[in-house]
Amino acid sequence: MSDCSTCSSGGSCGTNNENGLPPGMLQQYNLNQSTAEDNLVWIETSIIDDKLKVVDVSIELIGKLKNISDSRTIGIIIGDNDVKMLYDDIFAYGIDTLYHVKDKTLATYHPEAYADAIADVANRINPAVILIGGTSRGREVAPRVAAILATGLTADCTELSMNGRALLMTRPAFGGNIIATISCSNFPQMATVRPGTFPMPQPQIGRKGTVMYRQATNNDLKDIISSERKKVIESDISKAKILISLGKGIKKESIAVAERIAAKIGASVSCSRALVDKGWMPQNRQVGQSGRNVAPDVYIAFGISGSIQHKAGIGSAKKIIAVNTDPDAPIKDLCDEFILGNADQILAEMDKMLNS
Amino acid sequence: MKFLLMIKQVPDTTMINVDENGNLIRTGVPSILDPYCEYALDMINRIKNNEDRIVAVTMGPLQAKEALLRCLELGADEAYLLSDKAFAGADTYATSRTLTAFVNKIAPDYDHIFCGKQAADGDTAQVPAELSRMLCIPQFYYVEGISRDLTGMTVIQNYGDEIRTCKLPHMSLISVSQGDLNRRLPSISMHLEAAKKEIQTLDRVSLGLGIFSVGLKGSKTKIVYSYSPKSEHKCTIIDGTDPSTAAKHILEGIK
Ligand SMILES: Cc1cc2nc3c(=O)[nH]c(=O)nc-3n(C[C@H](O)[C@H](O)[C@H](O)COP(=O)(O)OP(=O)(O)OC[C@H]3O[C@@H](n4cnc5c(N)ncnc54)[C@H](O)[C@@H]3O)c2cc1C
Repeated sequence: MSDCSTCSSGGSCGTNNENGLPPGMLQQYNLNQSTAEDNLVWIETSIIDDKLKVVDVSIELIGKLKNISDSRTIGIIIGDNDVKMLYDDIFAYGIDTLYHVKDKTLATYHPEAYADAIADVANRINPAVILIGGTSRGREVAPRVAAILATGLTADCTELSMNGRALLMTRPAFGGNIIATISCSNFPQMATVRPGTFPMPQPQIGRKGTVMYRQATNNDLKDIISSERKKVIESDISKAKILISLGKGIKKESIAVAERIAAKIGASVSCSRALVDKGWMPQNRQVGQSGRNVAPDVYIAFGISGSIQHKAGIGSAKKIIAVNTDPDAPIKDLCDEFILGNADQILAEMDKMLNS
Repeated sequence: MKFLLMIKQVPDTTMINVDENGNLIRTGVPSILDPYCEYALDMINRIKNNEDRIVAVTMGPLQAKEALLRCLELGADEAYLLSDKAFAGADTYATSRTLTAFVNKIAPDYDHIFCGKQAADGDTAQVPAELSRMLCIPQFYYVEGISRDLTGMTVIQNYGDEIRTCKLPHMSLISVSQGDLNRRLPSISMHLEAAKKEIQTLDRVSLGLGIFSVGLKGSKTKIVYSYSPKSEHKCTIIDGTDPSTAAKHILEGIK
């Protein structure tokens, strides 16, 4: 037997493994386990009203991580010098260390270079979890990062929890009324979450953190011929207090009726995916798993059956009223009042009453 | 040019039902070519010329041949089905890895790869980005328009708050998010023509993939458990036969 270098008893402890460790120590202290620890969030920025801002969903993710994990929360932000003015805000919401990948050319979003930058920081800090907001850009970058890091990714999670370092990701599973909880067999465990799924945390003004600068690794940029900013006319349904929501059970004429009612009572009009698929309503009014999450005081669903994907978006509504002709419509499980009646006729009556 | 088209067959989600326990009833649900894949094929048809070839590829069970047949009817020249028992249960990572093996082994001479934005059933939109990274090529998401002239091709991408026009480098991946509802539908002659073309089937071994690279074993994510949510929520049922009483009730409730 070889000499044991880890203790003073000259080999009498009986070590015989290659690590030179006392027997059983590997198992006892889980030393062959990954050292992945911290949580990493991509802090996405966007130009909102001509000003560079942190996108809300990134902050919602920081808040969620603070609630479910004791590990440090590390941020990665990509952009040029002007990103600096956002530091204070980011620390106030709970980031401990912020990696700033600083590069003039990366003031413009490039999915390939952004994914490389996120993966580069991940390789450096070895996080247990990476969360990315389910925005149009986040949903494009996240799978590319997952491919670089050769790890799994769960899209559009509606709930996240941690069991030790293991992240449990919950989302509606395809097509039917099933909610699945998914785990990832590798570190880092990656997930995207749609905006509005988790609440905005309260900022702690004056909270401090550390900034680390990183060089961009990818100079392979796309040739963008033109980029035109669109003002997103947010009827912002995620902030509305009252929502009149329309589904496949209504006639097309009722949309205008609902808009009139909404204008009178200070509500907004939203819809199910069925109406977006028909081209009757724009995608930014769609409520649900692949649309928006909403949290109004009152949600009134006219002619919406209540598919699992739709219900995933209305869990935070304080009061839900449904109008449906089918007494067994699944939306019944979730609502406070279920009015068994014809949606078009009831909308027309409401309109009439408000006009008189 | 050689265009690869990655497609997926999906259950017609407008036809899915659940049983009393909340489990999916999949038998009897017709499978269709994912609509976004059809948009992608339509987009290629708009820019292709006579020398160009379109190769449609899918990973799936043998029934997925139907979706490939639909592609052949709609203008694809060749079709490949990647099918093997070991492919079952693949997550997006294992799927992308399988498709990558196909591209590298069978069609490394491609010029561009087209995908549909997302599959209507899973809705994750992950495979296009994972595939393009595994092939080390640039990715173009949310593509709504494409044009081609002598100098090359450009695409128009819609990020929701930004419309981008980009030059397309040779060997790019294009993920199509919108289609023309008035697109070309297959005629009888196209249908007959398609039936003559052969759909080639490739399995795990012919793609040179190990058992731990594909399917459930090659997947990074696993479902730990699933349930159908049943709520004990008490809801008041209100008779709405008289629309005006119901309307009054709602308006009073939101005051
Ligand atoms: C991956 C994936 C993601 C999805 N994401 C979303 C999402 O984000 N949001 C979403 O909404 N859907 C989503 N869907 C689609 C979802 O599965 C349903 O198909 C959709 O929500 C159905 O919309 P609906 O309730 O309006 O239509 P239907 O299910 O057709 O329901 C219509 C309802 O109207 C009732 N009705 C009919 N006539 C009347 C009348 N005169 N008066 C009153 N009631 C009437 C009927 O009884 C029925 O309950 C998704 C699907 C998939 C596969």
